[in-house]
Amino acid sequence: MKKIAVLLVVALLFTTLLFAGGAAEQESTKKSLRVATQVPGLITMGIWDGQAFALNASIYEYLIEIDANTGELVPVLATDWETEDGKTWIFNLRKGVTFHDGSAFTAEDVKYTIERTQDPEVGHLKKNDFAAVERVEIIDDYTIALHLEKALPTFIYLFTDYNMGILSSEYDYATKGEMNPMGTGPFILKEIIPKESAYLVKNESYWDPELPKVDELLLYFVGDIDASVSMLESGEVDIVPQISPIIKKRLDQQEGVTVVSPYQENRFIALVQDREPFNDNRVRLAFKYTMDPQVIARSVAQMELNEGVFYNESFILNEQAEYLDIPFRGRDIEKAKELLAEAGYPDGLSVDLYYASDHPYGKELSQTIKELSAEAGFELNLKGFTRDVYLSQYWLNVPMCITGWGARVDVSMLLSYAYHSEGPWNESHMNNPKVDELIDKIKAEVDYDTRLGYYHELQRIFFEEGTVINVQVPYLVALSDKVIDYRQPLTMLPQYKYTDIK
Amino acid sequence: MNSYLSTVFSKVGSLLATLLVISLIIFSLVELMPGDVAQMILGQSATEDSLRELRQARGLDDPFFTRYGRWIAGVVRGDLGDSIYMQGVPISSILWRKVGHSLFLALTAFIIFVPVSIVLGVIAGVKEKKAADSIISFTGLATMALPEFVSGVILISIFAVRLKWLPIVSVIPIGQTLFQNLDILVLPALSITFVMFGYVSRMQRSSMIIVMNSDYIKAARLKGLPERYIIFRHALRNALLPTITIIGMNMGWLFGGLIVVETLFGFPGMGSLLMTAIKTRDVPLIEACVLLITVIFALSTMTTDLLYGYLNPRIRFKGGQR
Repeated sequence: MKKIAVLLVVALLFTTLLFAGGAAEQESTKKSLRVATQVPGLITMGIWDGQAFALNASIYEYLIEIDANTGELVPVLATDWETEDGKTWIFNLRKGVTFHDGSAFTAEDVKYTIERTQDPEVGHLKKNDFAAVERVEIIDDYTIALHLEKALPTFIYLFTDYNMGILSSEYDYATKGEMNPMGTGPFILKEIIPKESAYLVKNESYWDPELPKVDELLLYFVGDIDASVSMLESGEVDIVPQISPIIKKRLDQQEGVTVVSPYQENRFIALVQDREPFNDNRVRLAFKYTMDPQVIARSVAQMELNEGVFYNESFILNEQAEYLDIPFRGRDIEKAKELLAEAGYPDGLSVDLYYASDHPYGKELSQTIKELSAEAGFELNLKGFTRDVYLSQYWLNVPMCITGWGARVDVSMLLSYAYHSEGPWNESHMNNPKVDELIDKIKAEVDYDTRLGYYHELQRIFFEEGTVINVQVPYLVALSDKVIDYRQPLTMLPQYKYTDIK
Repeated sequence: MNSYLSTVFSKVGSLLATLLVISLIIFSLVELMPGDVAQMILGQSATEDSLRELRQARGLDDPFFTRYGRWIAGVVRGDLGDSIYMQGVPISSILWRKVGHSLFLALTAFIIFVPVSIVLGVIAGVKEKKAADSIISFTGLATMALPEFVSGVILISIFAVRLKWLPIVSVIPIGQTLFQNLDILVLPALSITFVMFGYVSRMQRSSMIIVMNSDYIKAARLKGLPERYIIFRHALRNALLPTITIIGMNMGWLFGGLIVVETLFGFPGMGSLLMTAIKTRDVPLIEACVLLITVIFALSTMTTDLLYGYLNPRIRFKGGQR
């Protein structure tokens, strides 16, 4: 009995001591921006998808960036650039910029960053795009020339890609990249606790003395979106990216919190061209006739069509300049049934639809198109998998799928990935000589209006015989009202350096 | 005492054997998970060649037992491998901090629920079929029936949302430690207490009732000993044994159950780490976490056995011999 009594007393004493300390409150006059994100860490660029990488945008910096309000190119590490024929590109680099380790930023670093894309050990996502670079010529420390195999008039836009932050040629990113990422960006990583949090402070020697506006950036890696939103509601963080429309609805009622949508994302419903049943264009058309964009908008995002959710049958966002406004073909079940009968499916047909069930809007969209198409006799068997399993095991090799695609500032980038017959991510197996030809022409055409003409022609082809339905959904970010000037352009990279806090 | 030592040794031996078998099971189960590690690392655009190269470099193509042997040899040396999601980052640099947090949370829960449950269980047992007993038994049953994620939400809405006494989310503010933020432990620990209280207090109550009706207690009463003396000196001593077993058996569960509680509160412990590891398919990290939970489970079971022997001489001294 004594033993137990002793154990109990020790335990009780311990509890008392434990809570006697109480919580320490730290008051500081520093301006800090606090973000709760579902991404579990900072990631070295080159090998991961955009949203996962978005946080590094504050540590690294790019040659150019996109103005979040106007969509125009803004010089960052490159002060200006020129090309005469689209084949040779000359960049003048900003002088007096230093990396966080104190070393100077020069043309050598740009060369290293470009050549790194071709390193087989990195497995860089921009390998194909930069394969066109034949030679990198350092003219002097602050001037660099890129010689391409062929003329690419929109080549410059590749440098806005999230994977193209400029790295130091003298830094060992392979071993230090994850725990000590280092660039020329507006914030310096001070401390990172894996899977928990990261603490970034203002880069005092940043080349623009006006920026960044806050003194520190605090990132919490919170796996659960509801926990992140609770932190926002209780004032523990200021920004929560990537919330769902359901959470948006709840937060809309709440004072002190605003939900913004900095950009739209594509959800491509791929109707695969060389697999049954969509190898027959009549079946693809029949499927398109069963769709109802208004119903999709409401059930997928609880929003009205053209107010947050957009719909078309091609590769482009409705908000992009190259978009051609082709009126919706209308929902016509009879027509769809006729087309199906003509194609040899008078009694309807069954097809497997693959999608990422844990990706925002994935489940809702697949359910909705299943219901809509059922009326004409389509029976979609829903095959949902977690995103990584979907991408690594099924994607690119199924008769029908839904995939989330970030839009590209230069639409031709996306076209050559996804709709050229030789594109690495040609998920709908599009194999159309007319399409290939137009994509090649777009990439080589210097004149904007001619290029625009090609884009319009391409969209008409997609409307007639395309392999995709494009539902555009908003990327949603919840902000506390203390946040001033939150910017995140189509590149998906949040520009925290402009953001201030009340 | 020698025989007690030999019991200790044989227990440790069987613990190691169990762990070996379980490590094999964990490794094979993770093997069954869909997804290709090389593809995970190199991403969607990887070519067949680069995938093959990486598989070779990392030894992913080696036979099952070669890979298992390599893993287990690393584990024994304390090298848990590198995370896949955070390339080049050793798992040990991520894991131990979180394990510390979780142990601390489990300990906090433990020192709340053990004394409370035992004391209330004893009261219920002694006051059998009286009002106090009914109230305690009913509360125990009710809290036991509520899963942690329900009781957690109830606690949050009362203490964090309405009263604003405690934080909603158990996140450690950047630049501070857990010890500066002990208030974040309270709600998660209480949710665990809710579940454990039912089990422990009910066990304590029923063993108390059995003991109070036994002959030696009747004899003590007839001797005219004071009731308090009977309860605490004679009855509780024997009535505690089954309770200790239950507590010990549940320690492993407690650690596993932390996954739900930690995820609910966003507490930076091993449970939420395991959750992220599963979400990101970080295979080596999943293996390390699950193995560690198993070790803790096995250790707590063994400790219970040994403690039981220590408290109960009938087990310590086989057949009464010295």
